[in-house]
Formats: sequence, C-alpha cells, structure tokens
Amino acid sequence: MIRRTTSSRIIFVGLCAITAVFLFPLLITLFASLKSNMEILTAGGNLFPEVPRWENYVEAWNMANFKRYTVNSLFVTSMTIAGILLVATMTGYAFSRGSFRGKNLLFSLFIATMFLSWGPIMIYPQLQVAKFLHIHASLWGYIILRVFTVNMTMIFLAKTYIDSVPRSLDEAARIDGCSFFRIYWNIILPLIKPIIATIALLTFGETWNDYLLPLVFTMSKPVLKTLTVAVVGLKTSGQVASSWNLMLAGSMMSIIPMIILYFSMSNYFISGLTRGAIKE
Amino acid sequence: MILPSFLGLIIFSVYTIGYVLALSFTRRIGGQTVFIGFDHYVRLFTRDPNYWTAVANTFIISGKLLIELPLALILAVLLNRKMRSANVFRVIIFMPYILSAVIIGLIFSFLFASYEGIVNNLLMDMHLITTPINWFGTRAHALAVIIIASVWQCVGINMVFFLTALQSISPELYESAAIDGAGTRTQFFHITLPMLKRMTKVITLLAIIGTLKSADLALVLTNGAPGGRSENMMTFVFKYFFSQGARAPQIGYSAAAGTVSALIIGLITIAYLLLTRKEDSV
Repeated sequence: MIRRTTSSRIIFVGLCAITAVFLFPLLITLFASLKSNMEILTAGGNLFPEVPRWENYVEAWNMANFKRYTVNSLFVTSMTIAGILLVATMTGYAFSRGSFRGKNLLFSLFIATMFLSWGPIMIYPQLQVAKFLHIHASLWGYIILRVFTVNMTMIFLAKTYIDSVPRSLDEAARIDGCSFFRIYWNIILPLIKPIIATIALLTFGETWNDYLLPLVFTMSKPVLKTLTVAVVGLKTSGQVASSWNLMLAGSMMSIIPMIILYFSMSNYFISGLTRGAIKE
Repeated sequence: MILPSFLGLIIFSVYTIGYVLALSFTRRIGGQTVFIGFDHYVRLFTRDPNYWTAVANTFIISGKLLIELPLALILAVLLNRKMRSANVFRVIIFMPYILSAVIIGLIFSFLFASYEGIVNNLLMDMHLITTPINWFGTRAHALAVIIIASVWQCVGINMVFFLTALQSISPELYESAAIDGAGTRTQFFHITLPMLKRMTKVITLLAIIGTLKSADLALVLTNGAPGGRSENMMTFVFKYFFSQGARAPQIGYSAAAGTVSALIIGLITIAYLLLTRKEDSV
C-alpha cells in the first residue's frame, strides 16, 4: 500500500513537471510581452520584467493599429461562423433526412474532398477564382470562400448528430404539412443546439487562427489584415529587432481570447476536435 | 439544400484542382500563358535539388511522430487512472493545440533566438553548452526547432485520442488479468498495447497526413533558414506561388511542384484508407 502511494506520488510530480514544460513557452511570452524592447534584446535570461511595461499593449493597440485588425478578425470570425453553421447544418440535414437519387455517391464525393484538400497548394487557385468572381478585394471574399468550401468535418458532425434525432418527430410534422425546409428550421435546428455550439467553437478557432488564406486576401490591402496576419507581419516585414515587444504583446492579444474560450468550454473543444477527426 | 455545399464543391474544390493541373503545363511569357508540356516536371525531377531537399525535410519533420506518439501514449496511460487532478493536466497539455500555428512559430522563434534567447540562456545556466547555439544557422538545428515546436503543439490531441481508446477497453480484462496474477507491466504489454493497435494505426496516419500538409508553423518559425535549407514541401510550393521580394512568382512551376506534392500525400492517404479498411472488416 505504501509503495503504491509513493509510485503515484512520483507520477504526480512527473506530470506536474511535464505540464510546467507545456506552460513554459506561454508564460515566457506573457512575461516578455511586459518588457521593453531593450530589455528583451539584452537581458533575455531574466524571467520577469524589471518593471512591467503595460504600455506595450497600449502601443500595439493604438500605434501598430491592432485595434483595427482585432475588429477585422472579429468581423471575419463571426460572419464565417454564421455562414458555416447554416451551410453545414443544412448539408448535414439533407444527407441525414433527404432521399434523392445519388445521395450516397454524392456523400462519397464530399468525403473525397477531405483527401483532396491540399491545404497550401489550393490557396493560389482559390484566390484566382475569387478574382474572377470579383470578391478578392474585401474580407467578404475570404468569408465566402471559407463558408462554401466543403467543411467536411463540420458537415459530418452535423449529420451524425441529426442522425440521432428521432425521425418520428419530423414524420409527425410532415403529416401536419410541414415542408422539408420548415422541418429543418423549426424542428431540427432547435434540437441540435449542442452540436451547433461545437461547430461554432471549432470554426471560431479555425478562423481566428487562420493565416495563409487571410494573408493572401489582404496582401494588396493591408488595412484589412486580421490580427494573426498583422502580428506575424511584424516579423516578416524585416523590423524584427525593433518590434519584439509589440510582436509579443500582439501574440498575447491573439492568444488570450482563445485561451479564455478554451478554459470555459474545454470539453466542447476536446470532444469536438477528436470526434471530428476520428469518426469517418 | 445541398446546393450551397455542392456549388462550393464544384467551384472551390473540383475546379481549383483542375486549374492547378492545367497551370502546371503552362508558363507566362510576356503576359501570355503558353502551353509548354512537361517542362516544369522535367525541371522538378532533374534540375531542382531544392525541391527534393524540401521533400526530405518534410519526411524528417514527420519523424517527430517517433517522439510525439509514444509521449502521447505515456501521458494518456498516466492520466487514465483515478486522480482528481487528471482533468487539469489533460486540459493544459491539450491547450497548445487550439492556438494558431503561426503564433506558436513566432513564440518559438523568440524562445530559440540565438542572441540572449531564453533557451540558450537556460542551457548555459545549466552548463550544458558554453556558447550560444545558432538555432537557425544549420539545417539540423532549424529542423530540430521545428520538431520541438510541433511536438509541443500536437502531443495533446494525440493524447486525447489515446485516452478515448483506453477508456473503451473493458475494465473486466484488467480485473481477470489481476486475478491471474499479472502485474501492471504485464497488463500494459499484454492488454493495453494490443487493444490499442487499431486506434494507433488511425492516429499515426492522421498525424502523418497532418504533418505533411502543414506549412504555417515552419513558414514563420524558420522561414527556410538557413538559406532555404529547412524548407518543406508546402512552404516550397507556397513561396513559389506568392514569392515576396526579389524573386518573381513562378506560377506554372509551383503548380507542378504542388501537383507532385499532392501525389505524394495522396499515395500516403491511400495507404491510410487501405489500412483502416482492412482493420474495419476484421
């Protein structure tokens, strides 16, 4: 019995150490974001700033114009969430309840896109399509692209959840004369709130953190940059040495909303991300 | 009601794939797009060692899974016991996964700065090194930093996959093994590992595909330093499409490199499908 408690104590200490390693980079960033640029460059070994310099955040917010970029990020993120929620639940509903010719074939085609989404390779042609449609000069282009590109993970989450809603409910509604769309809007949607929350959260993360696509959409119009693009832009613009304090403060601004959301709803995040990836 | 998704599928997936393929056989000469056949592919396969360095780097970086997956499994096994703090550990270790890969790249490039960088200073304080290491000065160091950052980011999700799998193992198996006198170690090697086999295959291949497709982290963390030696397949293609600075974009050539990269990923994906299908039917 005694051996057992010592071994679990060793495991506990080990886990604490590992967890500390996982927290370390973020804590360093937090502390360094409160140092002056001079202190960052010459006294990198000190963990804590000599005097916390909150001005970094004020300067980043006002002078580096992160205020504008945060607004852009919020706009893009909320619109993308709304769009993806609508399209993903509609598609999931149609695949779950609809009966039409070629349904299975079409569903396989949709799944196939998961393996054909070539990530960074597709960005150039997608931008060209946006140019052709004349939507490349605003953030709407990015939003439209994100919403209408097949988001198979989200569709899949929606479909699986709708599959678990009893069919007797929509049959009763159909007998009362509800159309296919009315059943979706009035009966299914109110019943699938948990999966709506999951999809919204995952989409928030993906959009808030997105980099390459918003980067190419805002290359010609820097004022439209999202927060992530703007923060990283400081590094690639070649002013690295002079703006570490702003960069780190900006990183924290981009990280903190994610972390607050994550800590308040970590189970939604973890179960959503695992289910979306594994169940195929 | 499928129409919006279907239009998206045709315009943004099917059409764009065809477009990349078509582009890979063309070249822009004086504002005109000219068909040039397989020239780009010939150049790629015979005259561009940089691309193949990038492909090699992609596979070297995928080697991170040799650290990441065992670590994830160990953490999952340790956290799968009754312990009040297990949830706190799980939530914190998973946390990096929800952060932006580019912000992580930025943070790690700061941690591993060669002059007055945190990591160098720590190593010097511990007397493990005497002079600061230039982490972005050689290909090996740069790849090592990418691997460290990537493991830090991705261990959490794999740990949760393993935890899910562990929780699906019936506790009766362990009980009857304990009655037969099997110790913790025997139980681990004879019950836990065999029961996790199917899940491990899925996790491994998901992780491989994820690693092959990722560009963001490396793009910001090393940006190919030193001199393009730490470029991977995806950053290579992205840079030829959208080169900023002196080099003009070479659309046709990047489309060709993109197609070849996609084929490489495709072959591995097919292996994934075959493996998981075989396991399902058993």
